[in-house]
Amino acid sequence: MVLRKARFKHLMMFILPAALLIAVFVLYPTIRTITLSFVGEDGKLTLSNYKEVLTSKDIVDLRGFERGFPFGALIHNLMWIAIHLPLTTFLGLFLAVILRNIKGGTIIKSIIFLGMVMPMIVGGIMVRFMFEENVGVVNMVLGVFGLTTQTWTAYPESALLALIFGSTWLWAGFSLILYSAGLETIPKSYYEAAQIDGASPVRMFFNITIPLLKPITVVVITMTLLWELKIFDIVYVATMGGPGGASNVLALQMYMYGFREWDFGKAAVVAVLITLSTLVAAVPMIKSAGDEAE
Amino acid sequence: MTKKRIWVKVFLNIFAWFIGLIWILPVIGILMTAIRPFDEVINGWWHFKEFTPTFSNFINALNHPTAPLIVGMKNSLIIALPATILPLFIATLAGYGISRYHFPLRKGLIIAVVLTLALPQQMIAVPIFQMMSSLGLVDTYMGLILLHTAWGIPWITFFMRNYFKTMPISIEEAARIDGASDFQIFYRVVLPNIFPAIASASALQFTWVWSDFFLALILIYSPDKLLITQRVPLMRGVYHVDWGLLSAASIMVMIVPILIYLLLQRYYVKGMVGWTIK
Amino acid sequence: MRKLLVLMVILLTVLTFAKITVIVPWSGAELDKFLPVISAFQEKTGIEVEYKTYRAEDLANILPAQFAAKKAPGDVIFMWTSFLAKNTANAVELSDVVLPSNYLSGALDNVTFNGKIYGFAYTAKVKPGFWYRKSFFEKYGLTPPKTWDEFVLLLKYLKQIPGLKAPIASGDGVGWPLSDITEHFLITFGGPELQKDLIEGNISWKSYTVRKAMDKLTFLLKQGFFSEPIEWTTVLKQWWNGEYGLYFMGSWITGMVDDPDDLGVFSLPGNQGMVFGIDYAFVPKFSKNIDEAKKFVAFLASAEGQTVQVAQGGHIATVLGVPEMAYPTVDREVAKLLIGVQSLNDLDDSIGGLWQPAFWDQLKLLWVRPERLDDVLETLEEKMPK
Repeated sequence: MVLRKARFKHLMMFILPAALLIAVFVLYPTIRTITLSFVGEDGKLTLSNYKEVLTSKDIVDLRGFERGFPFGALIHNLMWIAIHLPLTTFLGLFLAVILRNIKGGTIIKSIIFLGMVMPMIVGGIMVRFMFEENVGVVNMVLGVFGLTTQTWTAYPESALLALIFGSTWLWAGFSLILYSAGLETIPKSYYEAAQIDGASPVRMFFNITIPLLKPITVVVITMTLLWELKIFDIVYVATMGGPGGASNVLALQMYMYGFREWDFGKAAVVAVLITLSTLVAAVPMIKSAGDEAE
Repeated sequence: MTKKRIWVKVFLNIFAWFIGLIWILPVIGILMTAIRPFDEVINGWWHFKEFTPTFSNFINALNHPTAPLIVGMKNSLIIALPATILPLFIATLAGYGISRYHFPLRKGLIIAVVLTLALPQQMIAVPIFQMMSSLGLVDTYMGLILLHTAWGIPWITFFMRNYFKTMPISIEEAARIDGASDFQIFYRVVLPNIFPAIASASALQFTWVWSDFFLALILIYSPDKLLITQRVPLMRGVYHVDWGLLSAASIMVMIVPILIYLLLQRYYVKGMVGWTIK
Repeated sequence: MRKLLVLMVILLTVLTFAKITVIVPWSGAELDKFLPVISAFQEKTGIEVEYKTYRAEDLANILPAQFAAKKAPGDVIFMWTSFLAKNTANAVELSDVVLPSNYLSGALDNVTFNGKIYGFAYTAKVKPGFWYRKSFFEKYGLTPPKTWDEFVLLLKYLKQIPGLKAPIASGDGVGWPLSDITEHFLITFGGPELQKDLIEGNISWKSYTVRKAMDKLTFLLKQGFFSEPIEWTTVLKQWWNGEYGLYFMGSWITGMVDDPDDLGVFSLPGNQGMVFGIDYAFVPKFSKNIDEAKKFVAFLASAEGQTVQVAQGGHIATVLGVPEMAYPTVDREVAKLLIGVQSLNDLDDSIGGLWQPAFWDQLKLLWVRPERLDDVLETLEEKMPK
């Protein structure tokens, strides 16, 4: 497509308002946070904030490997990714494939998508609620099978896991919807041709469906990673990072440093840490946007 | 169809509905807890020996002494409406500009927009707080609306640009040959044709602003001004946590995004998919 | 006609301006017991009082930003004195309406800074010990224990009663119920001095004295005598229904059960000190109705006002001159437990700040993993304000 050369009045009208707001409320604060992270209490440039934060047991607590949770917010975020990412991605794909030929599949899809629609603050209450000893639905199910029931968010070993599984319940709708949309775009003729060649459904799944869904998978993984790294509301209402810091995450720790201790230097360091990891996660997205912009 | 295939189909149907049931159980749980007195559900809402539906939890949550939800709803609307319309207006212009014009730093702007999509709110929190307090905008709706507007612009710009890219440019060219100016083209030719994109983007932006917790948490402090999401965690006194009340409050907080989703389902999902995929 | 108009104007001024907001930490049944006090004040002065509930933890987050903006969310605010200590610049001096001579000795110590009074003591609650239902004890032929061994024996007996989920119910949901139990153990086995030393930071959490007292608690936890932490009003009902034997709670429990006369209470054998939890409040400088607020303070700091509150049950007056007959019967029994023991400040309220939520959070951990006592004590020491 040939682009027209913009004249000054075009820039003023189309671009300037957006560019200005982004510059003032997004770019400037981002740069300011980076500089803040290098400024010490005395106002001089220093690495002491980084040293203090990175050695803090709030962020990484290696004792966790001997005695169990907490491991520190950074490791908790990594664990969140390690469990939640494959779980939601596969679950979404699996459900998308199954629900395609089910009577009332759209209703089930809508039900599962509900978790995506509700505010995460409510999501956190729901998660806390389902793992509650007396009123929680998880314990009802466990009780039916005669298993131990407890308030899962109250124990250091299970608090983080409960939040992770609860957030799977909330987030699975995302990959489900994306994969469902992706499946629609695969021409039926591909399958018909393969069927004539005598391919089994499993084979077709691996040889046609998965490769053709690759662009979607990239998006699902990227967005899910971003979501996991930014996780805040759920933890804030469900456990506030407890017990004993066993379900603490980076975003919550940043808030604690910044808006409870009012220590902006340390808060800035944690913010930079989160941002670096989200940028790494977003590389494919940024690259494709950069290529497209040519 | 062979017998085996029918059985597979039946099994899959049952299995799928079973999954659907599992997924909705927690929602039913919160609903049941909300509409029954707490004494009845103390050992689990699935016991139905007694069942006396009541709205008292909803009424109590709406008129809660600490955090009346009704005020929260009003406040959240005051924020969410302008914080949806403003960025939508500005970002539609920007998306159009980026997709139709060439100008210096265009690529830089596009990359900045995409980078912002990945940026966590925590990254801007502290400087925003400092900036807003020096401008006297902490604890004002103006500050929060501006912030939401700025925060929404990048993704809406990106989203609109993707939409404009798929629009045939020939109509616009034809209008230009007829002597229409660039602005006339935008208002007369382009705007009327992008309703679906606007609907999708507004549905998502409104939902996100309504659901936002973090930005509100760092900027709004006055009890009367707290938004609906901030009120939910406050619904407990030192000596009291009432699941019935919390459940009712949760339902009322999520009902607005859910209604939007149900009403604009087509656009909502399109927005979600389009925003991420294209 | 003119007179009438003037009267109307005066009336309108009174109606529109004489309205103050009090911020209290209570909700539910607790709040209901404060409302009669508000009504009594309104009747007496015609000043309208509005109330809002804010937990002190939330206020600790809200108030600094509000004060920075020269605003206040209420005219009379109930808050920790540890917070007030750092915010005397934002509080109105109340020396003219709050008179030490009206009070029990020492009641105003926590709100007196450099000889000036910046807040006032409202009524107090005590945290006397373990509550039981008299009917429950009668059914099994039990009596309150006189020694530690008898206490352990009692718990062992309770543990084997079929249908009982655990001997002692642990309240939770917000954090303080666990800290109240813990303080009771610290005071009993470390002596009342330990509580004071911990508040002032004179003794380490890793010291032998603390360790020794905490060992008693973790011993019981390891035996499974305590339930897991359950939201405290829920577990209160379950305990009342006979699912647990004992429940550690403050004196306000008497106002929360169906039949207070069935309540019995005992302290840990050997206990020499009891937390006397006074509710404190102050008037922020940015209040727009300082005069009316002061009148309300004067009322709450008087025998007249506190008499209305203690009659509701669960509270003990901090001012002199409240007649004994104003108290419900069960509270008079609680008052007897106070005889001969030292009254102490609440540990975590006094230390305050970020340490308090950390303390609660660590106790939640200890409750389910008592073997990690060393970790917990180390963290508590680390987080103590320096």
